[in-house]
Amino acid sequence: MSKFRNIIFLLFLISQTISVSSDDFKEELYIKPLPPMHLYVYFQFITLITGDTYEHSHLAPRSLKEIMSRFQVEELHLTLTEGQWRHKQWGYPVMDAAPGAELYAWFAPTVTDVNANWKKLSATLSGLFCASLNFIDAHNTISPKMALTPLGAMNIGLNYTSQFARYASLPREIVCTENLTPWKKLLPCESSHGFASLLNSRLIHNTNYHSIGVHIRKVCSNNECTNYNFEVKQTVALVYDFKIINSINWSFKLLFGQGLFGGCPLSSSSKIYIDLTSNDTLPFKLSPKPISIIQSQRGGSDTLLAVYDIKADSPMINIGAKHSIDNKFSVTIPPPLHFNRYVLGYGKEFGGIVTEITNTYWAPIDIILLENAPWWLPIQLSTLRINGEAESSLILKQYYSPGRSRQRPYHLELLMRLPPKSTTTVTIDFEFVFLKWQEYPPDANHGFYIGSALISAKLPTAKNYTSIPVDGTTLESVINASKPWYPAVFRTNGAMVSLPTPDFSMPYNVICLACTVVALAFGPLHNICTKELVLKPSGTPISLRQRIINLFKKKKD
Amino acid sequence: MGLVLKYVVAALVRYWLIHSDYWQTLSNRVEIATPLNSWKRLIEGIYLFEHNIDPYDGDSFHESPLLLISFYSLLKYAPYLLPGVFTLIDILTAYFLYKTAKIFVRILKSNQEKNIEVISDESKAMMLTNLQLEEVPEYVLSVYLFNPYSVLNCVGMTTTVVQNLLLAVSLWGSVAGHRLVACIFIALATHQALYPITLIVPISILLADVNKGCKKCSYIRTLLVFILCWGFLILTSAYIMNGSYSYIYNTYGFILNVPDLKPNIGLFWYFFTEMFEHFRLLFVCAFQINALILYVVPLTLRFKNEPVLLATVLIALSTIFRSYPCVGDVGFYLALLPMWKHLFTFMQQKFIAGCAFIITSVLGPTVWHLWIYSGSANANFFFGVTLSFATAQIFLITDLMFAYLKREFTLKHGSSRQVDGKPAKLVLR
Repeated sequence: MSKFRNIIFLLFLISQTISVSSDDFKEELYIKPLPPMHLYVYFQFITLITGDTYEHSHLAPRSLKEIMSRFQVEELHLTLTEGQWRHKQWGYPVMDAAPGAELYAWFAPTVTDVNANWKKLSATLSGLFCASLNFIDAHNTISPKMALTPLGAMNIGLNYTSQFARYASLPREIVCTENLTPWKKLLPCESSHGFASLLNSRLIHNTNYHSIGVHIRKVCSNNECTNYNFEVKQTVALVYDFKIINSINWSFKLLFGQGLFGGCPLSSSSKIYIDLTSNDTLPFKLSPKPISIIQSQRGGSDTLLAVYDIKADSPMINIGAKHSIDNKFSVTIPPPLHFNRYVLGYGKEFGGIVTEITNTYWAPIDIILLENAPWWLPIQLSTLRINGEAESSLILKQYYSPGRSRQRPYHLELLMRLPPKSTTTVTIDFEFVFLKWQEYPPDANHGFYIGSALISAKLPTAKNYTSIPVDGTTLESVINASKPWYPAVFRTNGAMVSLPTPDFSMPYNVICLACTVVALAFGPLHNICTKELVLKPSGTPISLRQRIINLFKKKKD
Repeated sequence: MGLVLKYVVAALVRYWLIHSDYWQTLSNRVEIATPLNSWKRLIEGIYLFEHNIDPYDGDSFHESPLLLISFYSLLKYAPYLLPGVFTLIDILTAYFLYKTAKIFVRILKSNQEKNIEVISDESKAMMLTNLQLEEVPEYVLSVYLFNPYSVLNCVGMTTTVVQNLLLAVSLWGSVAGHRLVACIFIALATHQALYPITLIVPISILLADVNKGCKKCSYIRTLLVFILCWGFLILTSAYIMNGSYSYIYNTYGFILNVPDLKPNIGLFWYFFTEMFEHFRLLFVCAFQINALILYVVPLTLRFKNEPVLLATVLIALSTIFRSYPCVGDVGFYLALLPMWKHLFTFMQQKFIAGCAFIITSVLGPTVWHLWIYSGSANANFFFGVTLSFATAQIFLITDLMFAYLKREFTLKHGSSRQVDGKPAKLVLR
């Protein structure tokens, strides 16, 4: 891994025309039809920050720079996602994200108290993006050992990643306009010009899947990699459902409610790429015609990309695709690796989580599976079964950190070799936990969300793979970028369990009743220990009148 | 012959049930297995230990390291022996209880002869006959061997089975006057579950009574041996865990702090589920004091002449009020009750308590199923059942003590309830 990090170089060198202190901004849009019924739209806005001081910023958001320098963050990834990416039908996205909020970061080796910085970082980001990231705490944070590696350049030792890395996800988080607005404000043109003007929240929240993200990493500023620049990448991924937009033919006006009025004047490049590969099965015609069509060969897959170069002063453009009427029904070929996750069992006492991973490739694939169970879902490692076997030869390496109630989640990482053309089932049992009544969220019977498992793989083929190579920044770097393997981190779907609930209206009654039972023991025991048995004449029964008189007599005494 | 038959039948029933299909269900029942003693947790702990992960790092294992290492080696070298081992341990427990009862009967008889002059002539008929006394150990044995609570506990393969053996041996050691045996086993029991620490009081009194001589020296000697043994066990456990004392937080800390609120037959779980966080510490302290030390001193002062009764009552009270009780604990003290068979005639609530035991034992699993599996009941139902189960046990134990006091009174003053020829009532003053 360290070797791989060492070879990371920034592809584009800063051109001589730009002065040292100025930043560089690029915007890109990538559209890929996901036949038969979906359309993937991916925006990325890249700001390259040159110069060290965070006080002076030109195009980069100062708030992010301050966060990075104040908490000594080396690399940061934040995504807010609604919906579930379907890897089996849709292939792989450029950047995968877990449902809800997901935040992970690497801190500088100089940080002494990583946990404190992590807490402050999440709290600050929570304010910046109006998301509930402040709920990230020690009890839902893990330090991934193998599954996650930094994407940026770092001069680091071997043990660096796990010690200074923190990962947390909040699967319950709901993503909406209030998160998108502050996100847009970080862009140099905000939403007034450029591609960001297409992000109309009324329409993008009407999609099957939407995910906004901020990814900050370090990139080398020269070939020797002695200096670093920060790269801020803001992304939006959308998956439109043709059924929802009510048409198989799409256009910018249909997708975003308006055409594109030129690029952002501050950007050095504004490009639109449209994947034409699916044209073979579901033919469509683009209008207006693209400037060029590029053929890209990458790891056994041929891709045709239509490219539009948008200038700041370009006239309004409304790119659209019109499908020919005789559309053939296509069979989607699943990607080399796809997975499914679900919860087993009935009742609210014992259950199990199953993760099914299918390798459709002809060779074995090595993956790292990261199971991250919250503390209220205590998994039992002794019940881990791979295809029903307790000691499976598929596991090459294993890491387990047991959780602690109210303090730490359960964290399991498995390095597995998936045999070719097979489905591997990973099962682990858990026991339902009975929480204190104040620990239940509002609407306790709604259920509790279990976060996604992470699957980190080195794919041998680039089929369905759209990610940008680690040494690249723009979508241009995807073209003809063949590598021995293609790294990817996927998120499985989340799940939900319904924890047993107490009666929330009962606290006083329960306290009274339980204390009464204790008193039932205390009273007689006190009597036995302090009093002695005596014979007391019971005498003749007293009349009611006498009894009342006695009552008053006692009072007089 | 009859004795051997009892042992064999009881062992066969246990062995068969462990091998039956019901085993899985039984070992997961909330009434039988608690987070502290369940077989599942033990397996998880052993698995982690085997894979070089500290089992006390997480929240899944709360048994003592000694038990961990012994079951680890057992599972490693002879896993097929496990059902047999659990059966054997339970049979041994019954055997030691039987031996204890035999010696106890002798003590009872000699005490009766010693106190013969204070017994009123009228009550001479109430004195225990040899025939009455001889059947007591048999009752103790039968109750332990065939009580559904102890059978289920053994079948569930909980660590309470081991706990019961340790308690039985220490009781036998103390009535037989073996100081070292009594102290070692009570230290082992304390090391495992903490609550048996209260038993050191009746044990030291018993040892001082049985081994005649200087009483104070005997108390001090017993206490010293106990503390040495316990300290040695704590050190040994730390040595097993490579010098780390983190297990203390996960065993004693877990017992005292009650972080896991999984329902059981005790009073803690729902009380602390519904507790306001602000008062949690106060009530944890109050409840633990109630279970551990509140009753030790007053009961000792009252029953210092009857250390075995004191031990029975303390075991029962700590079972009722401990943080993670299970039916195995209840089964154990119920087996001690036949030793007080002669008090049964003086008990007033045995019918009520008996009915409550039966009803709650049936209702408990029913409402649990309704709550957890069918979703048609809620937590209050199960809580109600556990409350009445605890109440029944409290009635039983307080009634036993009252019966003892009444019998003592009757022996001294005769059975007539008259003062100066007028009818009178026995009351506490």
